[in-house]
Amino acid sequence: MRIRKRRVIGLQGIILCCFVVSAPQLFVAQTAQRVAVTPPDVPAIALAASPDSADLPSAPEPSDQLPQTGGTDQVPAADQKKPNQQDQTKPANAPSLGDLGFTPEQTQANAQMQAMLNKRTHMLKVHQTLGLITAIPMVATLITGPQAKAKGRNGQTITEPTTANLDFHVALGGLTTGLYFTTAYYSIFAPKIPGVKPKGAIRLHRDLEWVHGPGMILTPLLGIMAYKQENAGEKVHGIATYHGTAAYVTAAAYGASIVSVSWPIHWKFWKKQ
Amino acid sequence: MNKKMLIACLLVGLPVFAQNDTQWVLDQSTLSYHMSHPMHEVNGVSHAAKGKGVCQAGQCDFLIAAPVKSFDSGDSNRDLHMVEATRGAQFPMIVVRTRLPEAATTASTVYADLEVQFAGQTAQYKHVPFQRVSQGNQVQISGTVPATCSDFKIDRPSFLTVPIKNEIPVHVEMTWRPM
Repeated sequence: MRIRKRRVIGLQGIILCCFVVSAPQLFVAQTAQRVAVTPPDVPAIALAASPDSADLPSAPEPSDQLPQTGGTDQVPAADQKKPNQQDQTKPANAPSLGDLGFTPEQTQANAQMQAMLNKRTHMLKVHQTLGLITAIPMVATLITGPQAKAKGRNGQTITEPTTANLDFHVALGGLTTGLYFTTAYYSIFAPKIPGVKPKGAIRLHRDLEWVHGPGMILTPLLGIMAYKQENAGEKVHGIATYHGTAAYVTAAAYGASIVSVSWPIHWKFWKKQ
Repeated sequence: MNKKMLIACLLVGLPVFAQNDTQWVLDQSTLSYHMSHPMHEVNGVSHAAKGKGVCQAGQCDFLIAAPVKSFDSGDSNRDLHMVEATRGAQFPMIVVRTRLPEAATTASTVYADLEVQFAGQTAQYKHVPFQRVSQGNQVQISGTVPATCSDFKIDRPSFLTVPIKNEIPVHVEMTWRPM
């Protein structure tokens, strides 16, 4: 009996011994399995932030931008994607923009187009301001025109204009021409929006360009010819005699162009609405 | 036999449940903004709005949307400037949402709390009155949303250095029909 008991104890001891020896190896094996789940050298937080692996919706961003971009369920441009908190708060059965059947082209934000429109508006504002400024020397040139002209008919005493009057008129004409073409630059090189056909007052404004544009080329050329003829002691003759006419037609077309783009004008603007 | 009865009950019962949901669709619309300047009075009109309404459990949710660039003032230059000033390429849609008790939709004057998304901003307009006229199965709704430029942080365009008025009321004429 004693021997048998010793054998039992011995067996228990062997089992216990085996367990004690093998236990650390088992823990090592379990640890090894855990390590295998997480890819080595990749921090867990980086995995969570990776857009490729994140199936869960990302946390809402701070609401500093919300007044500008939040609350719109229009499709933002790729670089503007933000979580749409509006959609998250609206009732589940409420209709959404997608239900209405607008095409993606209609709902898609176009940052490039917005930039183009901004540039266009900026350039046309400069065009408008310069255009109004140009009108001042243009009117002054028209006023000084008669003083820069030789007076008297054939057979009569011809009064030559003073050099000061002539130079002043030439300087004003030069200033008008320079400002005019700078104004034109801002209109010609303003971005054109594809698919937009001119409609309304802008059409007449554009059509009048074909009158005052050539007029602003022709008038100074005729003026130079007239100036040279007068300096040579000749009476202005030939095509140069049309310098004044060209100037008046150009100025009239230019004035009409300014008025046309503002048409229709609510004349009684002093009255309260 | 029992299975057939169950299927029959379901087939009869489902449409009855479905009848609780009423859906409305916007048939025709005219949205018109009014812009005022000492030298100009301008109306911009759009017929391109689309809308949908869903009534469920006594509450109706309506959504109306229109592209910003669909408004026509009769001058393409002004319309492009409007799109630019309202950031219409970046935020191309005007979206209006409202939630009404279903019972309120049958009154001759409907007072709606509107949530308007426009130019990247959201503005709330409380208790806006709309006239409701029923014609056959169609319902005509008309009213004016008292919008302002400042509600949407729009820099007011100016002419001869004088800016337009802040108020840009939007008159709404809509015809709805059940889906």
